[in-house]
Amino acid sequence: MWHSASAAAAVVALFICSGAAQAADIEAGRAKAQTCAACHGNEGHSTNPAVPSLAGQPAQALATQLFQFREGNRKNDQMSPMAANLSNAEMNDLAAYFASLKPAPATHRTAPQNASAGPALAKKFNCVQCHGPRLEGQQQMPRIAGQHYDYLLAQLRLFKAGRRADMDGNMTSAAQQLSDTDIEVLVDYIAGLGPQ
Amino acid sequence: MRIVMVVCLAAFGVAHAQNKPAEPTPPPSWHQGKPPALQESTLHPFAPNLTGRQASELPVQRLKVPAGFKVEVWAEGIPEARSLAVGDKGTVFVSNRLSKNVYAVVDRGGKREVKTLLKGLDAPNGIAFSKGTLYVAERGRITRYDGIENRLDQPGEGKVVIDNLDPNRAPGHFWKFLAMGPDGKLYFNIGAPGNIVMPNYTQASIMRVDPASGVLETVALGVRNSVGMDWNPKSKELWFTNHGRDWLGDDSPNDTLHRVATKTVPNFGYPFCHQGDIIDPEFGKGRSCKEFAKPALKLGAHIAPLGMRFYNGKMFPAEYQGNIFIAMHGSWNRTTKQGYNVSRVVLDEKGAVKKYEPFLTGFLMDEKADPPMWGRPVDLAVMKDGAMLVSDDYNGILYRISHGK
Repeated sequence: MWHSASAAAAVVALFICSGAAQAADIEAGRAKAQTCAACHGNEGHSTNPAVPSLAGQPAQALATQLFQFREGNRKNDQMSPMAANLSNAEMNDLAAYFASLKPAPATHRTAPQNASAGPALAKKFNCVQCHGPRLEGQQQMPRIAGQHYDYLLAQLRLFKAGRRADMDGNMTSAAQQLSDTDIEVLVDYIAGLGPQ
Repeated sequence: MRIVMVVCLAAFGVAHAQNKPAEPTPPPSWHQGKPPALQESTLHPFAPNLTGRQASELPVQRLKVPAGFKVEVWAEGIPEARSLAVGDKGTVFVSNRLSKNVYAVVDRGGKREVKTLLKGLDAPNGIAFSKGTLYVAERGRITRYDGIENRLDQPGEGKVVIDNLDPNRAPGHFWKFLAMGPDGKLYFNIGAPGNIVMPNYTQASIMRVDPASGVLETVALGVRNSVGMDWNPKSKELWFTNHGRDWLGDDSPNDTLHRVATKTVPNFGYPFCHQGDIIDPEFGKGRSCKEFAKPALKLGAHIAPLGMRFYNGKMFPAEYQGNIFIAMHGSWNRTTKQGYNVSRVVLDEKGAVKKYEPFLTGFLMDEKADPPMWGRPVDLAVMKDGAMLVSDDYNGILYRISHGK
């Protein structure tokens, strides 16, 4: 039955496994990333406060988000169509490329009272347990230190509203504990953290 | 007099509510139950590489099996490969948990073709194949796809067996394992909605549904989360794996293997008692472990036993017949990591545990590193020729363990 049907397999993403498959390729990622620069900036340093910087993000965090956009779990007018036709291998290449770049310096200035209140809040609400002691990200958890204020604020509000896709609901449940003021203090603190 | 009192209390209640700050929201489910002393612990769950990784970039040569056995990469490029089911014609069905698809892997003369069989499902972790039908357990329902192996390119819409299993979209362990019992009923877990919380009357259970009538029954209670079950081919007794709670320390409690040997519904203790003999520091107050059924085997703390199967194939040597194999997904809630292997449990003639040892090892690289492993076994399946498949959701790879030749 499936012999005759295979040619007409419009339903499926279909590929043959072979031993010659390549590992994630930074150079291939760099070539594909030219399209990304229009919004995410040169070398992954975004200058648009609504758009995240990608430089120096953990590769797994980047690939995870591309996957979430492609699968329709995370939705964004710009990113959803961008990710729609990327293969897993292309996502891994792009992720490897952006992970290899130097993180952007923080451009945000944290208010002094939030600079002192921020570290305790980041511990209390478990930010550091997953995103790492300096909030530089690890594995599937993104680097949030020095990320754009507007972008972080929008994402945390989406998580709190239950409208942002995440891994096993961890960020959604973490954000439930945050008051609107907590969110503003945390974001003001985190956006001002520079690479160390 | 009595009425007046009620009115007064009600009025007080309203006034009190107005002045009271909002109820604190529960902590994230993985973090829930963490004692004050561990508040700053940096232990965290690991997530799979959702886009998969190629075997060529992984140290697969580190995998070890006993002498006479061989382990090899059988298929790759199956994002977050979780549960396995083998069709009568040899199709290997593969589920996932965080995505929405079910895959079908077809062997074509030594090359494996991976098809995305079903799309747009809700955490379709549970799959079972029986008499030509593929059953799929999503977060809140179970569906059936009849004659699936003749319709791999046009599976159509599933028919609902049972729905509304998760009406409130409870957090925590929302994914389901699914297995077809020798009684023709579908068995599945409804996990606890958090690390250590009071479950409602359907949660922290193993249930079964008759696909012919839709009748739902409780099989076992007090089961925090079971993601693997199978039946002893000799006695037809149900066995299952269970995950113990987190944040009680590196060596406590054990994850467990259970045997359901009674006709009545056993209660294995959650959230009051863990591993049959540790009383919960919070929920166990005023309770005793004597109230509850005991596990058949303590497997190790936080080792994360997932898929388990009785080996009944024709390829492995006689001493492996009737053994239980368990895929250990590996610990995160432990400072020194363990697991990340496939283990073997040998039973005696009465069906009691005789021996417990690792069978497939090599995924664990550095027990102190973060992450400590390069791959994570999830489920097992015995193929038509008797070889064993192992799924690895961290990389999206299936490995094949064979014996002889």
